Amino acid sequence: MKMEDMSLSGLDNTKLEALAQDIYSDLVEDACLGLCFEVHRAVKQGYFFLDDTDQESMKDFEIVDQPGVDIFGQVYNQWKNKECVCPNCNRSIAASRFAPHLEKCLGMGRNSSRIANRRIASSNNMNNKSESDQEDNDDVNDNDWSYGSEKKAKKRKSDKVFLHSLKQHIPLNPNSPRRSKSVKHKNGEELSNSVNADPYKYNYNTGINYETLGPDELRSLLTTQCGVISEHTKKMCTRSQRCPQHTDEQRRAVRVFLLGPSASSLPDADTMVESDCYDASDGQVLMSRLQWDGSSDISPSDSASSKASTNNSDSKKPKKKKTTSLGLNSTGGGGGGSGSGGAVAPRVV
Amino acid sequence: MSKDSKMRATINQKLTEMGERERLKELLRAKLTECGWRDQLKAHCKDVIKEKGLEHVTVEDLVVEITPKGRVLVPDSVKKELLQRIRAFLAQHAT
Repeated sequence: MKMEDMSLSGLDNTKLEALAQDIYSDLVEDACLGLCFEVHRAVKQGYFFLDDTDQESMKDFEIVDQPGVDIFGQVYNQWKNKECVCPNCNRSIAASRFAPHLEKCLGMGRNSSRIANRRIASSNNMNNKSESDQEDNDDVNDNDWSYGSEKKAKKRKSDKVFLHSLKQHIPLNPNSPRRSKSVKHKNGEELSNSVNADPYKYNYNTGINYETLGPDELRSLLTTQCGVISEHTKKMCTRSQRCPQHTDEQRRAVRVFLLGPSASSLPDADTMVESDCYDASDGQVLMSRLQWDGSSDISPSDSASSKASTNNSDSKKPKKKKTTSLGLNSTGGGGGGSGSGGAVAPRVV
Repeated sequence: MSKDSKMRATINQKLTEMGERERLKELLRAKLTECGWRDQLKAHCKDVIKEKGLEHVTVEDLVVEITPKGRVLVPDSVKKELLQRIRAFLAQHAT
C-alpha cells in the first residue's frame, strides 16, 4: 500500500517538471515528423516545388520589409499631397478634391445644374432690375449710387468667396440636398444669412437691394413681401408678410423709410408704437440707425422669433429718444449729418 | 525507478485517454504555423532536398536534418504556453 501510494502521489516537483518537459518534447517531435512526412510526400508526388517560379520573378515579388512602406513596397499616403491638372479648366486641383471639382467643372452631377440655374436666374434678375431703374430714377447715375452698386458688386464677390470656402462644410452648403425644413415653405432656397431676391427665382447670392428699385416696384414688393432690410447685407427680406424673423414694427419702419411716411400700408399695423410722429427726417434717422447702429434693430440671422422679439423691445426705446433729440437737428440739416456719419446717402422717395 | 516509469506510463495513458494529448498537439500545430515556424522549416527542407537531389531524398534524410532544427526554432512563448498547460494537467491528475 505504501508503494502504491507513492506511485501516484510521491512525485516531487523536479520529477514533475522533467515529466512535463518530456511530454513537451514528444509533442514537438510529433509536429516535426508530421512536417517531414508532408514534405516527403510532396516531393515524391512532384508538387513540392510547384509554387515557385524562376529566380528573377521571385526577387521581383519578394516581401518588402522597409519602414514607411507596406509589404508590396507601396507608400501609405501617397496621394495626400498630389495635385492633378483638370483637363477641362487646366487648373491644378488637390487629389482628394478632384472628383467634386470635376463634377462642377464639367457641369455634371446633381448640384451643378442647380448652381447654373441660380446663376442664370440671378443674372436675369440683375439685368432686369438695373435696366428698369435707370429709366425711372436719375439717382442711379449719381456718384452717390455708384457707391451702392460697387458695394453690391463687392458684396456679391465676397459672398461668393465666403460661400466657396463654406462649401467644404456640408451643413452650410446652400446647394446640398440637406437643408433645414423651415425653408421648404418658400419656393426659393435660402442661406441662413442671406436673403432671397424673388420667391420665384433661385437666387441666394443677391437679394433685393432696395437702392436699385423704383418706387412702384418697391411698393409692389412691399405689399407682398416682408421687406425688412437686413443689417448685414442691406437687402430686403423676401419672406412673406408674416415672416417670423422680423416683427411688424420692422416692416412698418421699412415701409415708412422707403415709401415715405404716409405710405405705410401694412395689413397688420402695429398699434402699440407711436404711429403719428414720423416724418421724412425721421425716415433719415431711421435709415442711419438701421445701417450703423450697433444694437441692430433689424436682425438678419436665423434665430427667428426670439431675436425679433428682443429687437422689438430694444427698438422702441432708442426710437423714442432719437426722435425727440434729432427732430430738432434734422429739420435744418437733412443729409447724413445726424450723428451716425458714414458715407451713406439716404434715399427718400 | 520503476515506480517512476510506472507512474509516467499511467500519466501518459491518462493524457491520451482524456484527449488532452490530441488537444495539446493541435494547439502546438496551430501556434507553430501562426508564428511562421512551419514556413521556416519548409524553406530549410527545400535546401536539404536541393542538396540531396530531388529523386533520392528519403524520409530519414529529412527527419535527421529537420528535427533538431525544428526543436530549436520553436519560439519561447509557444514553449512556455505548452509547458504551462502540461503542468496544469499534471497538477490536476498526478497527485
